[in-house]
Parts: sequence; C-alpha cells; structure tokens
Amino acid sequence: MAATVLIVEDQVLIAWHLSDLVEGAGHRVLAIARDPAAAMEAAARQRPDFAFMDIRLHGGSSGLEAARMLFECWGVRSIYVSANLDPATRAQAEQWQPLGFIGKPFLPAEVITALERAVQAL
Amino acid sequence: MSEAPETILNVNDNEASRYATSRILHRAGFKVLEAGTGNEALQIVREDMPPLVIMDINLPDVSGVEVCRRIKTDPATASTMVLQMSATNIAVVDRVNSLAAGADSFLVEPVEPEELEAVSRALLRLHRSESALRRALAERELLLKEVNHRVKNSLQLVLSMLSLQGHRFKEPETRELFAKAIARVTAIAAIHERLYQDADPLTVEMHTYLTGLCAELVRASGMEENAQASLQIEVEQMRLPTEHGVAVALVVNELVMNALKHAQPATGPAQIEVRLLRHGTGQVRLTVADNGDAPDQSSSEVAGLGTQLIRMLARQLNGTVSIERAAGTYAVHVTFPLQSAVSWRPPY
Repeated sequence: MAATVLIVEDQVLIAWHLSDLVEGAGHRVLAIARDPAAAMEAAARQRPDFAFMDIRLHGGSSGLEAARMLFECWGVRSIYVSANLDPATRAQAEQWQPLGFIGKPFLPAEVITALERAVQAL
Repeated sequence: MSEAPETILNVNDNEASRYATSRILHRAGFKVLEAGTGNEALQIVREDMPPLVIMDINLPDVSGVEVCRRIKTDPATASTMVLQMSATNIAVVDRVNSLAAGADSFLVEPVEPEELEAVSRALLRLHRSESALRRALAERELLLKEVNHRVKNSLQLVLSMLSLQGHRFKEPETRELFAKAIARVTAIAAIHERLYQDADPLTVEMHTYLTGLCAELVRASGMEENAQASLQIEVEQMRLPTEHGVAVALVVNELVMNALKHAQPATGPAQIEVRLLRHGTGQVRLTVADNGDAPDQSSSEVAGLGTQLIRMLARQLNGTVSIERAAGTYAVHVTFPLQSAVSWRPPY
C-alpha cells in the first residue's frame, strides 16, 4: 500500500533527500513544509498518513509544536528525524504517539525501516 | 556601587538571641529574614532562596543539623550557604556532625559582631563565586550541545548532497564510484549519531554502530530485495576509542562492499558474515567472510583504493591482516590489540 507522507524539514537538501527515499520506496510525498504553520496548511489541504518531523525548524520554531498540532487536529503521527533527540525531547514527543525516532546524520536504511514500520502501523 | 543588599535568613527560636543577631546583620547592611522553627526555615529557603542561612543548632521542631541536611540534599536549595550557631556548651561531636551534614561553617556563641559579619561576608563571597562557576558550566554545556547539533546537521547535509548528486548520474561506473564514496563518508559520519548521547562520549559501542552500517550497505546494494545476498552480523558488546571505531567501520565497509560485489556463488544467494569478537588476551578479531570465490588477485579492484585503505587502517589499529581461503569460502581477518579506552567520566 502506498502511503502519503508530509515532510517537515527546514533544510531543503535534507528534505529533498528524504523525499527521494520515500518515493524510492514507492510512497508519495504530499508536501515539504519548513515550519509548523506550513505543516498545518499542507495537512489541511490534504491529510497525510504520517509525517517525517525535524525538531528545529525555520525561524526558531519547533517540530514538537508542529507534531502536537498535527496529532491533536487530525491524529497525524510523526517519525522524528533530528540531530537533537535527547531524553527530554523524546519524553515530550511521547505524548503524541511517535512512530519512530531517527538521529541525524541518518542512514537511509534507518529511514526505510521506520517508513515501512509506520506503514504497517496504519 | 548601589547593589541590592544580600539576604540572610536568621533562624533561632530564642527571640532575644534572634533579635541580637538580626541587629548585627542589619547594621552590616544585609536584608534579614527570620524564622523561629526548622520547618519555617525550610519553607523560606525554598520560597525566597536566600544565599546564606544563619541557624541555631537547637530548634523546637527539627534539629538545626537535620534542617541543614535537608537544605543541602535538595538540588533546588543545595547551593544555599549554611552557618550553624550554638551555645558554648556544645560537644565537639555535635559540631563535627553539623559540618558533616553539610554546614559551611560553625560559630560558638557569644560571637563578636565583627566576626559574625566577616564570616557572613566570606560565605556570601563563596556563594557568589560558586554561582558564577555554575552559570559558566551551564553555558559551556549549552555551547557543546549546540556545536554537536551543528556537526551532526552539517554531516547530514554532506550526505544528503552526495546522495542527491549520485542519483543524477546515468553511467553505471560513475554511479558505482559515487556509491562507494557515499558509503565511505557514511561510515565516518554515522559514528557521530552514536557518540555524545551516552555517558561516555570518547568511545563508541560497536554493536549498534556496525549493525546499522551493514544494514545500510545491504540496502544501498539493492541485493536484499532480490534475495541475492544475506548478511549476518556477530558483534560482541564492546566499546572502542572513537578513532579505532571509525577505522574498524571503514574496514568493514570496504570488505562488505567487496563481498557484495564478488560473492555471487553459482549455488544460491551470497552469504556474508561480519564478526567482531574478542580473540585471545587483549586482542580483537574482525572477520568478514563470504561463500563466494576469492577475488581475482590480478584484477584492478584488488589493487584499488579499497585494498590500500584496508592496509592503512589495519596499521592504524596496530593490527595484522590475514586471508583465509578454502573451497567456497573466503575470509579476511584483521586482528588488533583492544586498546583500553581513556574512559571519560563526568567530573561530578
């Protein structure tokens, strides 16, 4: 089953790389958003099955905030992809039923594994 | 200099003594808070956070020694300075107990006003320099975290850039060369995701590191999908110093890439094994074995960068390379001394 994915990441190169991996695995990227507002707009237009979520976003905004809103408004869960996954961040993310955590720099295999696991959980 | 006066909490159930002490402190220019019981004192310490508490050892509810112990063991109030006071007839053992419970100084009454003021100023000075140190340490930690974040993010950008570039080549040779470069950079970059986050940032736990890298190599080769190759990993739990960890990972990278390329036995899929095990006393042996034919010695691949890298990295590990050939198996071993890492412990 092809899943629909929202990528929330402010670094264009990394977003593009993730997008390549998602599409290479046969799934569809609905949008790339660089901050919580853009993520909400994109999800309002078309509901994703789940999101890849960076933690530090554009202009000092937080991926945790974006993840919370996506989850509370539409029950959209996130796979967190960040260079900053300390225990406090993970604990906070736990509230919104995370689908996985991937540290940066990531191995593409980790992204694919988390992606397949998320698709199974749908 | 018109700084706000520093606050001292004066704890004594004897009203006359409390008044006398407060008067001395007021005259010396301090702001004084007062408490008549231990519980009252604890509440004020928590709420007003005075830098110094001057406390009689005999209190009606909780002993002064116990109040001091509670102040010093609660992380929120531990930085508070405590000066214990007592009457002349106190036993030496009680003074010792009081200091052992964390009191910063002890005075026996009656005390000359000059001495009380001087000791108070000394303790407040100590409190100020401790606070400054704590702030500096917190700033350092924040800075280190920020630098780590940037290093990891930059490495991610390098990998993403290479990967995007790699997809745009059409010629298979160029694609393969690029894939090799990406795999080598990945092996180096991936260690950073695994450092810093645990208690010992100068060593790396090899099991998770190598397992992740091998999974990525198999994925990147595309051999898993068509069940052309299977990879088995046996890595003992061990920590290596970071530079040795990277060297081992790069050797594994070269050998597994070779094996994925060459190990194509006529019968069934290629089976590749990666082992990192303790070997004899103080030695570690890395083995990458497959069930394919040994690579042709004369081929340019063997004399290529990969082989040179393996030799150089083995030397860096103070190790030796040996090759084992038998019918239907080909194994490369790198044996090296397990260097006991200079282990890092937090300084507190």
